[in-house]
Amino acid sequence: MSHKAIVDPAECSAHGDCVDIAPTVFRLDDTAVVIGTDTPELMIEAAEACPAVAISIVDEASGETVFP
Amino acid sequence: MSRAGTVIVGGGLAAQRVAEGLRRRGYEDPVRIVCGEPEPPYDRPPLSKELLAGTVGEAEVAYRPAGWYEENEVELLLGAWAEELDAGRRRVGLDSGASLPYENLVIATGGEPRRLRFLAGANVHELRTLADLRRLRSALVAGSRLAIVGAGFIGQEVAATARALGVEVTVVEALPVPLEPIVGPRLGRWFADMHREEGVRIIAGAALESARGSGDRIEELVLADGRRVECDAVLVGIGTVPATGWLEGSGLGNGGVPVDAGGRAALPGVFAAGDACLGFEPRRRTHLRTEHWDAAAWQGAAVAKAILGEEPGRPPLPSFWSDQYGVRVQCVGHPQLADGVAVEGDPAGRDFQALLSRGGVPVAGLAVGRPRAIPAFRKQIEGAVPALQPEKEAA
Repeated sequence: MSHKAIVDPAECSAHGDCVDIAPTVFRLDDTAVVIGTDTPELMIEAAEACPAVAISIVDEASGETVFP
Repeated sequence: MSRAGTVIVGGGLAAQRVAEGLRRRGYEDPVRIVCGEPEPPYDRPPLSKELLAGTVGEAEVAYRPAGWYEENEVELLLGAWAEELDAGRRRVGLDSGASLPYENLVIATGGEPRRLRFLAGANVHELRTLADLRRLRSALVAGSRLAIVGAGFIGQEVAATARALGVEVTVVEALPVPLEPIVGPRLGRWFADMHREEGVRIIAGAALESARGSGDRIEELVLADGRRVECDAVLVGIGTVPATGWLEGSGLGNGGVPVDAGGRAALPGVFAAGDACLGFEPRRRTHLRTEHWDAAAWQGAAVAKAILGEEPGRPPLPSFWSDQYGVRVQCVGHPQLADGVAVEGDPAGRDFQALLSRGGVPVAGLAVGRPRAIPAFRKQIEGAVPALQPEKEAA
């Protein structure tokens, strides 16, 4: 049931939308960095909000990428 | 009989997010996107920036690889335009003469550029689509003269990109201070100053009267005070209107479709998202057309949830960004409401943040070169929301 967020630092351009939506999962340094986990819904919402499509969400149980 | 499923009209960000959201949530009925343009859904912000500069190619701005649509059974009707909505029979008429039945219809036709009747010609441009981009890019030759009508964000971003390409740029703006209705006079002047420092000639408070040229080319713009702006190409960036002309006679009107937080319009089974809609902003208890990437993305996802009977939740505060001369400008909240601004940092050095307030209550934050300021602004503004007075009750 646990999901993992991955930020592609080459794509991230530090808009900060993910930090707004899921401060439990992301922190903004020079790019967004992953600091934790939360509900799959919240993590996907944060990934969806990324203008650079730099965030992917992986279901750790199945190894499947659920976003994008 | 097979199910009619969901028909999404328009092939931009909002459309893409509806389709993705439906499939991710297990929606099994047909999903069709009436794309309008010949390309599958793509990201528009780079049109005035990386794509125009040539640092990013067209293939890189597609939202999904070509195979995604087939894998997810999302049917793309490329180059197809909706011409008519018959909400009673739940059908959309296309330019091909075909008629698509729907159970759910999503109006995501976006906006279309405002135009000036006297400004037409082979070297007059607007910038909303990849087709527009290809034309404009070939016109931006080093040493050539570009006249931009309108100092809004499209005009400013194109000015910045054109300068980097070695183009001489003149911007003609009707307002005395560019962007003043959005960010106020002080920040509006900051934007104008930045462009002037970069060698852009800005003529503000200008009344554009006519254009002269020969053949089908415009050679100069004529202002009411007699000034002339000679040019090799013209870009018109004076805002957009909702692309909802095809809804005439449907009962939804032609000025943008008012929707609730789940994107539901006033007709059964009809939803709208993105620049074609007037989203409900609960903090101001009014419908607003925001025209921002972030709003279209959120609204598209919200419509997918609403179609499946899920609660879309509260829309986030409006936010947008702009990239100019290598500096990122970000804004969150409702800057249009502000009557005061407090600036912290170094505006001349393009490194500052500004808290905009109304009667002392924070309503918006603008950050230049400071992305980390935005989450804090968002908290501060959201925390002040109960003090925000609605300017009018929702219809």
